[in-house]
Amino acid sequence: MTDKNLNQIEDQLKRALSRQEAPRDFADQVLARVAEQHASRTAPRNPWWRIFTQPLVRWAAITATAASLVIGGIHYRNVRIERAKGEAAKQQLMLALRIAGSKLQLARARVNEINATQTNQSRREEE
Amino acid sequence: MAERVLLDHPPDTGTAFADAFARLVRRHQSMVFSIALHFLADRSAAEELAQDVFLQLHANLPNLKSEEHVTFWLRKVTAHRCIDFKRRRTLPQVSLEEVAEPGALTSNGDPFLTRKLRQMIASLPEKPRLIMILRYQEDLGPEEIAETLSMPVGTVKSHLQRSLALLREKVSRTIGEVTL
Repeated sequence: MTDKNLNQIEDQLKRALSRQEAPRDFADQVLARVAEQHASRTAPRNPWWRIFTQPLVRWAAITATAASLVIGGIHYRNVRIERAKGEAAKQQLMLALRIAGSKLQLARARVNEINATQTNQSRREEE
Repeated sequence: MAERVLLDHPPDTGTAFADAFARLVRRHQSMVFSIALHFLADRSAAEELAQDVFLQLHANLPNLKSEEHVTFWLRKVTAHRCIDFKRRRTLPQVSLEEVAEPGALTSNGDPFLTRKLRQMIASLPEKPRLIMILRYQEDLGPEEIAETLSMPVGTVKSHLQRSLALLREKVSRTIGEVTL
Protein backbone atom coordinates (compact mmCIF):
# COMPACT_ATOMS: atom_id res chain seq x y z
CA MET A 1 0.00 0.00 0.00
CA THR A 2 1.58 3.30 -1.06
CA ASP A 3 1.56 6.32 1.24
CA LYS A 4 -0.72 8.14 -1.18
CA ASN A 5 -3.23 5.28 -1.22
CA LEU A 6 -3.07 4.99 2.57
CA ASN A 7 -3.73 8.70 3.00
CA GLN A 8 -6.60 8.54 0.55
CA ILE A 9 -8.32 5.67 2.30
CA GLU A 10 -7.73 7.29 5.70
CA ASP A 11 -9.31 10.51 4.43
CA GLN A 12 -12.25 8.55 3.09
CA LEU A 13 -12.61 6.73 6.43
CA LYS A 14 -12.62 10.03 8.31
CA ARG A 15 -15.43 11.24 6.03
CA ALA A 16 -17.36 7.99 6.29
CA LEU A 17 -17.04 7.94 10.08
CA SER A 18 -17.59 11.63 10.71
CA ARG A 19 -19.76 12.51 13.70
CA GLN A 20 -23.48 12.57 13.01
CA GLU A 21 -26.07 14.78 14.63
CA ALA A 22 -28.21 13.06 17.25
CA PRO A 23 -32.01 13.35 16.83
CA ARG A 24 -33.25 16.85 17.60
CA ASP A 25 -35.12 15.87 20.78
CA PHE A 26 -32.39 13.55 22.04
CA ALA A 27 -31.41 15.62 25.10
CA ASP A 28 -35.06 16.16 26.04
CA GLN A 29 -35.68 12.43 25.90
CA VAL A 30 -32.67 11.76 28.11
CA LEU A 31 -33.84 14.36 30.63
CA ALA A 32 -37.36 12.89 30.59
CA ARG A 33 -35.95 9.44 31.34
CA VAL A 34 -33.78 10.86 34.14
CA ALA A 35 -36.85 12.56 35.63
CA GLU A 36 -38.86 9.37 35.28
CA GLN A 37 -36.16 7.37 37.05
CA HIS A 38 -35.88 9.98 39.77
CA ALA A 39 -39.66 10.00 40.29
CA SER A 40 -39.86 6.23 40.53
CA ARG A 41 -36.97 6.21 43.01
CA THR A 42 -38.41 8.90 45.27
CA ALA A 43 -42.10 7.91 45.03
CA PRO A 44 -43.36 6.91 48.51
CA ARG A 45 -43.91 3.21 48.67
CA ASN A 46 -47.05 1.93 50.36
CA PRO A 47 -46.06 -0.21 53.32
CA TRP A 48 -48.04 -3.45 53.63
CA TRP A 49 -49.81 -2.36 56.78
CA ARG A 50 -51.34 0.63 54.95
CA ILE A 51 -53.97 -1.81 53.66
CA PHE A 52 -55.61 -1.66 57.10
CA THR A 53 -56.46 2.00 56.61
CA GLN A 54 -59.34 0.85 54.42
CA PRO A 55 -62.45 0.46 56.64
CA LEU A 56 -63.67 -2.73 55.04
CA VAL A 57 -60.32 -4.47 55.42
CA ARG A 58 -59.96 -3.15 58.98
CA TRP A 59 -63.35 -4.49 60.08
CA ALA A 60 -62.79 -7.79 58.31
CA ALA A 61 -59.48 -8.17 60.15
CA ILE A 62 -61.06 -7.32 63.53
CA THR A 63 -63.91 -9.79 62.93
CA ALA A 64 -61.54 -12.54 61.85
CA THR A 65 -59.34 -12.00 64.92
CA ALA A 66 -62.33 -12.00 67.30
CA ALA A 67 -63.78 -15.16 65.71
CA SER A 68 -60.40 -16.90 65.99
CA LEU A 69 -60.15 -16.00 69.69
CA VAL A 70 -63.70 -17.24 70.48
CA ILE A 71 -63.28 -20.49 68.54
CA GLY A 72 -59.89 -21.07 70.13
CA GLY A 73 -61.27 -20.45 73.63
CA ILE A 74 -64.18 -22.85 73.14
CA HIS A 75 -61.89 -25.52 71.79
CA TYR A 76 -59.51 -25.13 74.73
CA ARG A 77 -62.40 -25.40 77.21
CA ASN A 78 -63.69 -28.58 75.53
CA VAL A 79 -60.27 -30.14 75.61
CA ARG A 80 -59.96 -29.41 79.36
CA ILE A 81 -63.42 -30.91 80.13
CA GLU A 82 -62.60 -34.07 78.17
CA ARG A 83 -59.29 -34.40 79.97
CA ALA A 84 -60.99 -34.01 83.41
CA LYS A 85 -63.58 -36.64 82.52
CA GLY A 86 -60.84 -39.03 81.50
CA GLU A 87 -59.01 -38.48 84.80
CA ALA A 88 -62.21 -39.15 86.81
CA ALA A 89 -62.92 -42.36 84.87
CA LYS A 90 -59.34 -43.51 85.52
CA GLN A 91 -59.68 -42.89 89.27
CA GLN A 92 -62.97 -44.84 89.38
CA LEU A 93 -61.44 -47.78 87.55
CA MET A 94 -58.49 -47.88 89.96
CA LEU A 95 -60.86 -47.85 92.93
CA ALA A 96 -62.94 -50.65 91.43
CA LEU A 97 -59.81 -52.74 90.85
CA ARG A 98 -58.64 -52.19 94.44
CA ILE A 99 -62.04 -53.28 95.84
CA ALA A 100 -62.13 -56.33 93.58
CA GLY A 101 -58.61 -57.25 94.74
CA SER A 102 -59.49 -57.07 98.46
CA LYS A 103 -62.69 -59.13 97.90
CA LEU A 104 -60.64 -61.85 96.20
CA GLN A 105 -58.20 -61.95 99.11
CA LEU A 106 -61.12 -62.39 101.55
CA ALA A 107 -62.58 -65.21 99.47
CA ARG A 108 -59.24 -67.02 99.30
CA ALA A 109 -58.75 -66.72 103.07
CA ARG A 110 -62.25 -68.16 103.62
CA VAL A 111 -61.55 -71.08 101.28
CA ASN A 112 -58.29 -71.83 103.06
CA GLU A 113 -60.05 -71.77 106.40
CA ILE A 114 -62.74 -74.22 105.23
CA ASN A 115 -60.09 -76.54 103.82
CA ALA A 116 -58.17 -76.53 107.11
CA THR A 117 -61.34 -77.37 109.14
CA GLN A 118 -62.23 -80.29 106.87
CA THR A 119 -58.74 -81.72 107.05
CA ASN A 120 -58.77 -81.66 110.87
CA GLN A 121 -62.15 -83.41 110.98
CA SER A 122 -61.10 -86.24 108.71
CA ARG A 123 -57.91 -86.88 110.79
CA ARG A 124 -59.94 -87.15 113.96
CA GLU A 125 -62.29 -89.64 112.41
CA GLU A 126 -59.43 -91.83 111.31
CA GLU A 127 -57.98 -91.86 114.82
CA MET B 1 -19.56 26.86 34.59
CA ALA B 2 -21.89 23.99 33.83
CA GLU B 3 -19.33 21.32 34.65
CA ARG B 4 -18.61 22.76 38.06
CA VAL B 5 -22.31 22.69 38.95
CA LEU B 6 -22.47 19.08 37.84
CA LEU B 7 -19.26 17.89 39.37
CA ASP B 8 -19.67 19.74 42.67
CA HIS B 9 -23.20 18.59 43.42
CA PRO B 10 -24.77 15.18 43.72
CA PRO B 11 -27.39 14.35 41.07
CA ASP B 12 -31.03 15.42 41.45
CA THR B 13 -30.31 18.63 43.29
CA GLY B 14 -32.38 21.29 41.62
CA THR B 15 -32.81 23.20 38.40
CA ALA B 16 -29.22 24.39 38.09
CA PHE B 17 -28.04 20.81 38.09
CA ALA B 18 -30.68 19.78 35.52
CA ASP B 19 -29.77 22.66 33.20
CA ALA B 20 -26.07 21.91 33.46
CA PHE B 21 -26.72 18.24 32.80
CA ALA B 22 -28.83 19.12 29.74
CA ARG B 23 -25.94 21.23 28.39
CA LEU B 24 -23.53 18.38 29.05
CA VAL B 25 -25.81 15.96 27.14
CA ARG B 26 -26.09 18.36 24.18
CA ARG B 27 -22.31 18.81 24.09
CA HIS B 28 -21.58 15.08 23.95
CA GLN B 29 -24.68 13.60 22.33
CA SER B 30 -23.22 13.71 18.82
CA MET B 31 -20.10 11.78 19.90
CA VAL B 32 -21.98 9.08 21.82
CA PHE B 33 -24.74 8.72 19.22
CA SER B 34 -22.25 8.50 16.34
CA ILE B 35 -20.11 5.81 17.98
CA ALA B 36 -23.25 3.74 18.54
CA LEU B 37 -24.61 4.48 15.06
CA HIS B 38 -21.40 3.55 13.27
CA PHE B 39 -21.04 0.42 15.37
CA LEU B 40 -24.64 -0.83 15.22
CA ALA B 41 -25.63 0.60 11.82
CA ASP B 42 -29.13 0.95 13.27
CA ARG B 43 -30.44 4.43 14.04
CA SER B 44 -33.10 3.55 16.63
CA ALA B 45 -30.83 1.06 18.42
CA ALA B 46 -28.07 3.68 18.48
CA GLU B 47 -30.45 6.26 19.94
CA GLU B 48 -31.62 3.86 22.65
CA LEU B 49 -28.05 2.89 23.54
CA ALA B 50 -26.91 6.53 23.63
CA GLN B 51 -29.78 7.43 25.98
CA ASP B 52 -28.80 4.56 28.27
CA VAL B 53 -25.21 5.83 28.32
CA PHE B 54 -26.35 9.30 29.43
CA LEU B 55 -28.62 7.81 32.10
CA GLN B 56 -25.60 5.94 33.43
CA LEU B 57 -23.59 9.16 33.24
CA HIS B 58 -26.22 10.93 35.34
CA ALA B 59 -25.89 8.30 38.04
CA ASN B 60 -22.08 8.37 37.90
CA LEU B 61 -21.45 12.11 37.82
CA PRO B 62 -20.23 12.28 41.43
CA ASN B 63 -17.36 9.93 40.47
CA LEU B 64 -16.18 12.04 37.51
CA LYS B 65 -13.54 14.63 38.21
CA SER B 66 -13.29 16.82 35.09
CA GLU B 67 -14.66 17.46 31.61
CA GLU B 68 -11.84 15.34 30.12
CA HIS B 69 -12.74 12.54 32.50
CA VAL B 70 -16.39 12.81 31.38
CA THR B 71 -15.36 12.54 27.70
CA PHE B 72 -13.08 9.56 28.37
CA TRP B 73 -15.77 7.90 30.50
CA LEU B 74 -18.44 8.41 27.80
CA ARG B 75 -16.26 6.87 25.08
CA LYS B 76 -15.35 3.92 27.28
CA VAL B 77 -18.92 3.20 28.45
CA THR B 78 -20.34 3.66 24.94
CA ALA B 79 -17.78 1.23 23.51
CA HIS B 80 -18.52 -1.41 26.13
CA ARG B 81 -22.25 -0.93 25.83
CA CYS B 82 -22.04 -1.32 22.06
CA ILE B 83 -20.41 -4.74 22.46
CA ASP B 84 -22.86 -5.77 25.19
CA PHE B 85 -25.81 -4.56 23.13
CA LYS B 86 -24.68 -6.49 20.08
CA ARG B 87 -24.15 -9.69 22.06
CA ARG B 88 -27.43 -9.38 23.96
CA ARG B 89 -29.54 -8.61 20.94
CA THR B 90 -27.65 -11.04 18.71
CA LEU B 91 -28.40 -8.88 15.72
CA PRO B 92 -28.28 -10.95 12.53
CA GLN B 93 -24.88 -11.12 10.88
CA VAL B 94 -24.84 -8.71 7.97
CA SER B 95 -23.22 -8.96 4.61
CA LEU B 96 -21.70 -5.98 2.88
CA GLU B 97 -24.71 -5.50 0.61
CA GLU B 98 -27.26 -5.84 3.41
CA VAL B 99 -25.83 -3.26 5.77
CA ALA B 100 -28.30 -0.42 6.19
CA GLU B 101 -27.18 3.09 5.55
CA PRO B 102 -26.70 4.61 9.03
CA GLY B 103 -29.39 7.21 8.80
CA ALA B 104 -29.37 10.18 6.52
CA LEU B 105 -25.66 10.77 6.82
CA THR B 106 -23.98 13.63 5.13
CA SER B 107 -20.39 13.70 4.06
CA ASN B 108 -18.16 15.21 1.49
CA GLY B 109 -16.25 13.24 -1.12
CA ASP B 110 -17.43 10.26 -3.13
CA PRO B 111 -20.83 9.28 -1.69
CA PHE B 112 -20.65 5.81 -3.21
CA LEU B 113 -17.27 5.12 -1.66
CA THR B 114 -18.40 6.59 1.66
CA ARG B 115 -21.44 4.30 1.68
CA LYS B 116 -19.34 1.26 0.78
CA LEU B 117 -16.82 2.07 3.51
CA ARG B 118 -19.56 2.33 6.13
CA GLN B 119 -20.92 -1.01 5.02
CA MET B 120 -17.48 -2.56 5.20
CA ILE B 121 -16.80 -1.15 8.66
CA ALA B 122 -20.16 -2.47 9.86
CA SER B 123 -19.12 -5.93 8.69
CA LEU B 124 -15.85 -5.94 10.67
CA PRO B 125 -15.65 -7.97 13.91
CA GLU B 126 -16.64 -6.08 17.10
CA LYS B 127 -13.23 -5.03 18.48
CA PRO B 128 -11.64 -3.96 15.16
CA ARG B 129 -14.84 -2.08 14.30
CA LEU B 130 -14.71 -0.14 17.57
CA ILE B 131 -11.02 0.59 17.08
CA MET B 132 -11.67 1.96 13.58
CA ILE B 133 -14.55 4.11 14.86
CA LEU B 134 -12.48 5.55 17.71
CA ARG B 135 -9.53 6.13 15.35
CA TYR B 136 -11.39 7.82 12.48
CA GLN B 137 -14.48 9.28 14.15
CA GLU B 138 -12.85 10.47 17.37
CA ASP B 139 -9.37 10.91 15.91
CA LEU B 140 -7.79 9.05 18.84
CA GLY B 141 -4.27 7.68 18.74
CA PRO B 142 -3.52 4.00 19.38
CA GLU B 143 -2.53 4.74 23.01
CA GLU B 144 -5.80 6.52 23.74
CA ILE B 145 -7.81 3.76 22.05
CA ALA B 146 -5.92 1.15 24.07
CA GLU B 147 -6.74 3.00 27.28
CA THR B 148 -10.39 3.42 26.33
CA LEU B 149 -10.88 -0.22 25.41
CA SER B 150 -8.53 -1.58 28.12
CA MET B 151 -6.34 -3.50 25.71
CA PRO B 152 -2.62 -3.51 24.83
CA VAL B 153 -1.39 -0.81 22.44
CA GLY B 154 0.21 -3.48 20.23
CA THR B 155 -3.15 -5.19 19.77
CA VAL B 156 -4.76 -1.89 18.79
CA LYS B 157 -2.02 -1.16 16.25
CA SER B 158 -2.22 -4.61 14.68
CA HIS B 159 -6.04 -4.39 14.49
CA LEU B 160 -5.72 -1.00 12.79
CA GLN B 161 -3.20 -2.27 10.25
CA ARG B 162 -5.18 -5.42 9.47
CA SER B 163 -8.48 -3.56 9.20
CA LEU B 164 -6.98 -0.93 6.89
CA ALA B 165 -5.46 -3.60 4.67
CA LEU B 166 -8.73 -5.51 4.61
CA LEU B 167 -10.77 -2.41 3.78
CA ARG B 168 -8.37 -1.39 1.04
CA GLU B 169 -8.58 -4.85 -0.48
CA LYS B 170 -12.38 -4.87 -0.29
CA VAL B 171 -12.65 -1.40 -1.76
CA SER B 172 -10.30 -2.40 -4.57
CA ARG B 173 -12.38 -5.49 -5.26
CA THR B 174 -15.66 -3.58 -5.15
CA ILE B 175 -14.92 -0.43 -7.06
CA GLY B 176 -11.50 -1.05 -8.53
CA GLU B 177 -8.19 0.68 -8.13
CA VAL B 178 -9.42 3.75 -9.95
CA THR B 179 -10.80 5.42 -6.84
CA LEU B 180 -7.82 4.83 -4.54
